[in-house]
Amino acid sequence: MAQIVAGFGVPHTPIFPHLVKRDGPDCETARLFRAQKEQLAATRPDLIVMFDTDHLNTFFLNDLPVFAIGIDKSFKAPNDEPRDVPSYTVPSLPALASHIRAVAIGAGYDVGMTQNFSVDHSITVPLHFLTPDMQIPVIPFFVSGHVPPLPKAQRCHDLGKAVAGAIESWPEPLRVVIMGSGSFSLEVGGPRMASDRSDGVPDPDWAMRVIASLEEQKIDRLIAEATQHQLLKAGNVGGELLNWIAMLGAIGDRKPTYIAPQMQNGHAYGVWRWN
Amino acid sequence: MSVFAVNYLCREVLRDHAFRAAMKADPGKALAPLDLTDEERRALLAGDVGTLYRMGANGFLMNYLARFEVCGLNTAIYNQRMRAVKVDEIGQPVM
Repeated sequence: MAQIVAGFGVPHTPIFPHLVKRDGPDCETARLFRAQKEQLAATRPDLIVMFDTDHLNTFFLNDLPVFAIGIDKSFKAPNDEPRDVPSYTVPSLPALASHIRAVAIGAGYDVGMTQNFSVDHSITVPLHFLTPDMQIPVIPFFVSGHVPPLPKAQRCHDLGKAVAGAIESWPEPLRVVIMGSGSFSLEVGGPRMASDRSDGVPDPDWAMRVIASLEEQKIDRLIAEATQHQLLKAGNVGGELLNWIAMLGAIGDRKPTYIAPQMQNGHAYGVWRWN
Repeated sequence: MSVFAVNYLCREVLRDHAFRAAMKADPGKALAPLDLTDEERRALLAGDVGTLYRMGANGFLMNYLARFEVCGLNTAIYNQRMRAVKVDEIGQPVM
């Protein structure tokens, strides 16, 4: 049977590939992603299921699901031109993606779908750093985290559990890594940007609180505190925390291997390995 | 819903290279066929992103106008005009 072997929380800042190309392999971002890449390789994954918030590139305001899964043999990445990122074709597993959707709907989660799709930097940038040869299949699971009303944190955590159940009922002996993509506090292009950047970190105290809750394994506290008001207070993309919360629901109650913050970006790099 | 038209054209500046070029060359002509109110059109042509935000345009999408330097915007000017918008603690405009 398929088994979940690790969880990763990953940033997806679109300028990172350019900055790493410019600043070289010893810069902080390169080191942080390289550490995660090594951890990922050590898990020997057959599949990545990534919880992600599309930035109105795969979907748009006329067609915006709360939850959706990508079901296709492969998908193109990226569709929003992050600098110094090649065009990739990412393999996927449509039969398992369909199974996950069917099980989730049967469990009461109204999961839409997309086929013949492409994805933006929020999926592509982590893969660019962690699995650049794009040999590991990826199933994207989209969670609406930018345009309110947002799904509740508890619902996303429970959805993660349902997705885990679907994976663990799949008969192929696949080693599956679950990822959650995004930031804890970030404002992109909105009024709460910093004065000298295109983004900003409106609520650094919240980002630190999230990191503490992750490190202390206080996920119930994290869920209780991740109200819509708090997520929006954290920035116009603060709802991306819901992707990490869904990932945590899927992997269960595990001690993190490490959480490495990058507070100037309001995010962190997290790894949970046990198998 | 013409605020939709504002949001949509912002994303088209990213996705449609011909539209992006048209917006750089002659924004008035590029915007002419779109379903925009007079105030939206004026605000876009003036790069008045603060007004557009208060009308309900999406900040993440409007950032493409700055990124691709259309409507007289660049990242510095965009930043200054957006930061001038008074908002509450969840980023909603306040009067």
